[in-house]
Amino acid sequence: MKDVSKLILEDGAVQDRRIYWDQDIYEQELEQIFARAWQFLAHEGQIPNAGDFLTTRMGEDNVIVARQPDGTIKAFINSCPHRGNVVCHADTGNAKAFTCAYHGWAFGLDGALATVPLEHDAYYDAIERPRYAMHPVAKVESYKGLVFGTFDARAPSLRDYLGDMAWYMDTFLDVPGGIELLGPPMKSILNCNWKVPVENFIADGYHVGWAHAAALKAIESPLSPLAGNQAYDVNTGLQVATRGGHGFGVIWDAAAAIHPEGGAFRDWLAKRTPIIRERLGEWRSRFYNGHWDASIFPNCSFLYGTNTWKLWLPMGPHNIEVWTWTLVEKDMPAELKQMMVATNMMTFGTAGMLETDDGENMEQCTGSNRGWVTRRGKLYSGMGQVREGRHPELPGIIGKGIVCETSNRGFYRRWAELMSGRSWEEVAREPRSAPNREVA
Amino acid sequence: MNAPTQIKTPANPRYVDRDTLFEVERFLIREARMLDEERFREWWQTQLTEDIHYVLPVREIRMRANKQPIGSNPGAFVFNDNYGMLDMRIRRLETGLVWMEDPQNYIRRFISNIDAAWADVDGEVDAWSNFIVYRNRRQRDETVVWGTKQCRLRKVDGQWKLAGRTILVDQRVVLDKNLYFFL
Repeated sequence: MKDVSKLILEDGAVQDRRIYWDQDIYEQELEQIFARAWQFLAHEGQIPNAGDFLTTRMGEDNVIVARQPDGTIKAFINSCPHRGNVVCHADTGNAKAFTCAYHGWAFGLDGALATVPLEHDAYYDAIERPRYAMHPVAKVESYKGLVFGTFDARAPSLRDYLGDMAWYMDTFLDVPGGIELLGPPMKSILNCNWKVPVENFIADGYHVGWAHAAALKAIESPLSPLAGNQAYDVNTGLQVATRGGHGFGVIWDAAAAIHPEGGAFRDWLAKRTPIIRERLGEWRSRFYNGHWDASIFPNCSFLYGTNTWKLWLPMGPHNIEVWTWTLVEKDMPAELKQMMVATNMMTFGTAGMLETDDGENMEQCTGSNRGWVTRRGKLYSGMGQVREGRHPELPGIIGKGIVCETSNRGFYRRWAELMSGRSWEEVAREPRSAPNREVA
Repeated sequence: MNAPTQIKTPANPRYVDRDTLFEVERFLIREARMLDEERFREWWQTQLTEDIHYVLPVREIRMRANKQPIGSNPGAFVFNDNYGMLDMRIRRLETGLVWMEDPQNYIRRFISNIDAAWADVDGEVDAWSNFIVYRNRRQRDETVVWGTKQCRLRKVDGQWKLAGRTILVDQRVVLDKNLYFFL
């Protein structure tokens, strides 16, 4: 295994550029991160009935996620254990069995081998069927409707993995009625490293005013003054880096900010806020009205407020697929859900007015590292490092202001911990690196 | 008008006469050139009706036995725009702050297989066509998008205008970094 100890320096603030380009580092990511970490698979509402399934990926492994007759959800690798063929080619559907198109081996909803053509005449009944089940995803668990899976049986529970991020995400997950993801997802490609969009969503409040200047002007939103970075107030929000590499930035009172017609959403927020305050307390009722840019380690991102939900699926060191759903609260009226879908489409969809700005930057940030000399350089995300610390009431490391890179550093600290090959137990024993400083 | 989410020849098409077909062809071809030349505001002002519905549904991959129509799920559109939303997209381009478009991208639209039939509304026509759109940007960044579209045309003051358009891109995964251009 490659020594990765020099790739992330200064407590996460400095990244070696090779992590965005080199094939061997990428292979180590597939092994140490994507074969171990919990990854987003689905929302339970996407496969409500027995036999409902969808296909997705964990790292580069094709995975089938299926609702079982007993209501539980199982996942397994979408590859026949006989000759390796992909067994299910549909994005989604309802099935009683998955049958390979090559030789007709059929597997149950749980991935178990069910029938083998000519089993008696050609195999002489000598197949040990349990040995040839589809390779299972070791653990599949839900957190408030969000289904995740890990290939690592020794991984901590999903709740422990999410850690303090779950406390924050309860802001929109633990609402009466819960949430749902509307799709099917848009899918597109970017020629970038998978970590670049994760960085963009977890921490990059810095680019909003500049990269999205044109869109902010066209939408005429409350955020329009940010266009061209003409105005910035450090009290507009904060950043959070939680243990485990998750994190987000929040802009206060901006949940509906980039909705072209945000009135109905603002009314909804006003109506629900007392309930959220009652249920989750003052702080989270404030987060409920904020606009978040967030990532769940390793490759799931979302914007609460604009309500886009993203997966960045790695397809090699310089290529990803972008999958995009719309997140809505189940109890929202149908017209408001439609408005959320329309806003997501207009902003962060495949033809979105802001997605377009980001995609180009992400590709160029990655592609520049092709140069052998360029690649030996470092990148710097030390913004706000001198001002971050603990908060008397909020978990995690808090960075002041939305223009800040606190949560980026948190992401890279976890990246480095897992890439080193250390066990989950060792990683859990690492001391927290929150500076001994209080940030209100 | 609600744009269809599936593009299919109707059961008994009333194909238009030769003169009308010629007008439809000219409309689509000149429109494509207008867009290639980035005359977006002119396009919006002169080629569209104010009740336009411009739609590009997400095409999910399903087994043939699964008969749920494409686009029947409300969360599944890349474009689902009205006149005002198209205006907003063009205003973004007009700000001069779209860094990705500067230097300019080259987008070339090819249209073929044009056919047209009278619609079920008097004086309106459904026109079908296939397209290839080539996009080139930066030094050697190039993509091609293939697809088909159904257009609803209406004659307003003697001139054809676009009242509805449903676009199907023949890619489940859009093999371009975005589709921020008009098809």
